[in-house]
Amino acid sequence: MTAATMPTRRSRGRSGRGITRGQAAAGWLFTAPVLVILGLFLLVPVLMALWVSVSDWTGRGSPISGDVHFIGAQNYGQVLWAGGLAEQDFGVALRNNLWYVLLVVPTQTIVALFLATMVNRRLLRLRGAFRTAYYFPSVTSSVAITVLWLFLFSTSGAINAVIGWFGVKGPNWFNDPDGIFHFGAQSGPRFLTGHTILGVSWWDWIGGPSVAMFAFVLLAVFTTSGTFMLLFLAALQNLSGDVEEAAMVDGANGRQRFFRVTLPQLKPTLFTVITLGLIGCWQVFDQIYTGTRGAPSKTTLTPAYLSYQAAFEGNQWGQGAAIAFILFAIIIIFTLIQRWVLAERAVSKRRMRWITDYQRTAARSGTGAAR
Amino acid sequence: MTVTTPTELAEGAALVGGATRPARPLRTREHWTPGRIAGQAVVYVILVAIAVLYIFPFLIDVATSFKTEPDAAAHPLSLIPQVWTTAAYEKLFLNSDFPVWFKNSLIVTLLVTAGRVFFDSLAGYALSRLRFRGRNVVFALVVAVMAVPNVVLMLPKFLVINQLGIYDSYTGMILPLLTDAAGVFIMKNFFESIPVSVEEQARIDGAGTFRIFWSVVLPMAMPALITIIILSFQGSWNELEHFIISTQDPSLTTLTKGVAMLSNGQLSQGTQYPLKLAAGAIMTIPVAIVFFIFQRRIVNQSTGAVKE
Amino acid sequence: MKITRAGAVLVAAVAAVTLAACGSGFNSGGGKQESKKPLTVLIGSSGAAETTAVKQAVADWSKKSGIKATVQAASDLNQQLAQGFSSGKPADVFYLSTDALAGYASNGSIYAYGDKLANKDDFYPSLVKSFTYDGKLQCAPKDFSTLQLIINTDAWSKAGLTEADYPTTWDQLTAVAKKLTTGTQTGLVIGGEYARVGAFMTEAGGNLMNADSTKATADSAANLKALQYVQDNLKAGDFKYAADVGAGWGGEAFGKQLGAMTIEGNWITGSQQNDYPDVKYKVVPLPKGPAGAGTLQFTNCWGIAADSKNKSGAVDLVKALTSKSDQLAFSKAFGVMPSIQSAAGEWKKEFPNLAPFLEAASYAKGVPAAKGSADVVSDFNAQVAKLTTADPKTILSSTQKNLEALLK
Repeated sequence: MTAATMPTRRSRGRSGRGITRGQAAAGWLFTAPVLVILGLFLLVPVLMALWVSVSDWTGRGSPISGDVHFIGAQNYGQVLWAGGLAEQDFGVALRNNLWYVLLVVPTQTIVALFLATMVNRRLLRLRGAFRTAYYFPSVTSSVAITVLWLFLFSTSGAINAVIGWFGVKGPNWFNDPDGIFHFGAQSGPRFLTGHTILGVSWWDWIGGPSVAMFAFVLLAVFTTSGTFMLLFLAALQNLSGDVEEAAMVDGANGRQRFFRVTLPQLKPTLFTVITLGLIGCWQVFDQIYTGTRGAPSKTTLTPAYLSYQAAFEGNQWGQGAAIAFILFAIIIIFTLIQRWVLAERAVSKRRMRWITDYQRTAARSGTGAAR
Repeated sequence: MTVTTPTELAEGAALVGGATRPARPLRTREHWTPGRIAGQAVVYVILVAIAVLYIFPFLIDVATSFKTEPDAAAHPLSLIPQVWTTAAYEKLFLNSDFPVWFKNSLIVTLLVTAGRVFFDSLAGYALSRLRFRGRNVVFALVVAVMAVPNVVLMLPKFLVINQLGIYDSYTGMILPLLTDAAGVFIMKNFFESIPVSVEEQARIDGAGTFRIFWSVVLPMAMPALITIIILSFQGSWNELEHFIISTQDPSLTTLTKGVAMLSNGQLSQGTQYPLKLAAGAIMTIPVAIVFFIFQRRIVNQSTGAVKE
Repeated sequence: MKITRAGAVLVAAVAAVTLAACGSGFNSGGGKQESKKPLTVLIGSSGAAETTAVKQAVADWSKKSGIKATVQAASDLNQQLAQGFSSGKPADVFYLSTDALAGYASNGSIYAYGDKLANKDDFYPSLVKSFTYDGKLQCAPKDFSTLQLIINTDAWSKAGLTEADYPTTWDQLTAVAKKLTTGTQTGLVIGGEYARVGAFMTEAGGNLMNADSTKATADSAANLKALQYVQDNLKAGDFKYAADVGAGWGGEAFGKQLGAMTIEGNWITGSQQNDYPDVKYKVVPLPKGPAGAGTLQFTNCWGIAADSKNKSGAVDLVKALTSKSDQLAFSKAFGVMPSIQSAAGEWKKEFPNLAPFLEAASYAKGVPAAKGSADVVSDFNAQVAKLTTADPKTILSSTQKNLEALLK
């Protein structure tokens, strides 16, 4: 439970119309700064970019001047189906980011949940210290952490030094464009290399993130697991202890209790964490801008960075805006898919029965009563 | 890390929750068998190991910033420099624009934080307490805005900032960040949890709406305000994208932008890790301070309830 | 919901505010007497030496002309130029690369002042060609650089080689690279990108585009021959890419003695002097390929913004910066070669050991300059980085397709 679900009490209009009118004026006055700023810098920009994405603006003069023409879906076409370099770049960026999402979202969720349950144990001393330690990477700037990561993962860096203890030569992390699921194979079978989606061969689609991108995956888990741990922690502290205690009395062991009792009750938080993870992971920009700028061999290019690059470095403002809107659509689609999947399957009927059974037991035995 | 994200909203909610709600009190009495003690020891070993994993990189960061370049390359794991040198810091503070970046980050962060605390709570109060036509629309707008991913807005925001003629100015850097939807949301929810009765007396005494808000309700919203302060400070101090697109003048470069440029080699040649890591370490300090000052309150409150 | 009306009012109000502010951001250059307006100069500097030298030269000019001018070292030149042009507040004078020229010339961002230069004929013809768009010289070539072969002389003699063994053909290059390859050192280490590998293409008689960048020539037999040659040597382990030996670029690999030879430009002198003063080296011409001598040349020009408030002052400044004395001062400071032929004699006298770089001016080929070619080249680089295992033919044909798309 979060603050969002706290009970709402409104002042009912006991006073006369004069105060209501005063309230109306104050209401608009109080919200005006927020409205103007959000409108100006969030709403208007979206409309303006929508126009740029269907225009031939070249970056000179105002995009809403008479010299700029409507060109329909051409910019979207360049990115999605024209068969040129722009489409291929977008395909590569999409591939990179898709793998990033597939690896980061589950990992960060599991790590965060694990940390939260560990920290939430009863009788734990130094709980605050542990919590702070795990949360610390989340508050520091992504720029500072990326710089640190570049050093840790350099050829002669700390990570390779640790790998070296085991007699293995570490990879050249941020310079290694090989897909980790290609397992060193350099060329694939004909049926995989012969077909392409968005200008990228099937072989490359299934190759996984490059070693360089994988280092960014680790960075993401490192920096986000603390934040999400905090969310799980807040939820865990609000769980009713009754059910779990009843399960304990019933002899269920720790693992059973966690998977059958605790986890189903955490479903809303799980849902939030995965949604936020998805949204965040599709927006990787800072790390790429600070670290690799798409190198090696474009394997760390992401749609967000590509959009920036197309507009601000390549002067293709229309294409840049189009990529931004496609990215927006992708985020929405992924969120909807996830909503659908989790809503259907997260709590099976059998598990639900477990919980209600225990709730009943708890009520009967009276262990749940507050002392 | 961007400013108005849903993540912050949830994070904020968790912070507020942690601050206001005590942890579940212990009910059952535990028996200390040897097996249980061993189990507890394993738990601590795991927790400490993970904590080391999370904190060690930052220790490496600080240690390396005092090393020479060959030393950094030769002993990447060592926490003690072979030769102590402050060359990196001297270069940063005496021979680079680093002080300018720091100053800009500070100005922007302080103004943005102040602005958000004020405007977010003002709007949050109006949305939770004042009844006016269009309130639902306003609220719907605030929620809708939160759904737009920040990165998508980079290019559009540049267009508007440009169109308004505030490109390459402090105004352009600060104004767009001055409020955030997530903050309004957090404040609104918190105000709704405060009983209306506290305002009644003031209203009967004839206090105006702003007076009631400012001197009666706002002081009661400290936990939520602290959350807004933490999130705003952290968000604007760590903000990168907005400053990339809103400025080009080197005298307006912020820490994030400056260090990012330092990192991807445009301002320097070669690796220069001690220099870059020193810059990273310094830019972490203010956020860390704010975080520890305010986090302490929250941590104390939530752990204090667990009596052992 | 009846609230929609209020929503509409809100949107309208916001839009009104925006529109009211229109025009303030995009003002074009005024037309009144402005010959004394201050100038800003935006440079993409290679380091402190370059920044200081340009600042000095500009300050000298300011003193003489009485026009204030400030030099800004860009952190990201391309981005800052793009943002400057689209915000209507560009720098007055700036470095402009060959591949960025076409884009800015075509949308009217830059001021074509080439015809106003008295010493137009003194510039090397190949450089003038690089900066000609629509039949007009758009901007004055700033300086240029070429690639040649850099040899570690200690490693050379240790391998039992003498001056007579300097390679003049591809076969000889392979042979000496093999001899120079030891456990820790590779014969030839180069950057895995067009800007290095491309030199072999020109030696085979090819290049990605023709000299005017009006025709894509990527899938030529000559280019295929060049890539195959490089690939064979990479496979044999006698050549390696800098990234594969853990270096950022060829010069670093050479300085750290991970490679006994490298292919780099005249800028290498600076980094060798500063970072690796103990490594002795010699610059020799790249070996001739099947089509004779060849190498790549790189150049920037001094662009002037069409939106500049003081174009005449800007042109005057560029004239000073491209004068013989300023260019020679730049050469001394950061190793570039003057863009004017009349300075060649003095330059060679000053830097006799670097003479091969300047001598390449007569045969060096430029890099593609068609609008959007930078993207194609970076895509080519991404593919060529994996040349060891990739199919050269596929690389070239995809590049050909991408280049042809630019010319449509």
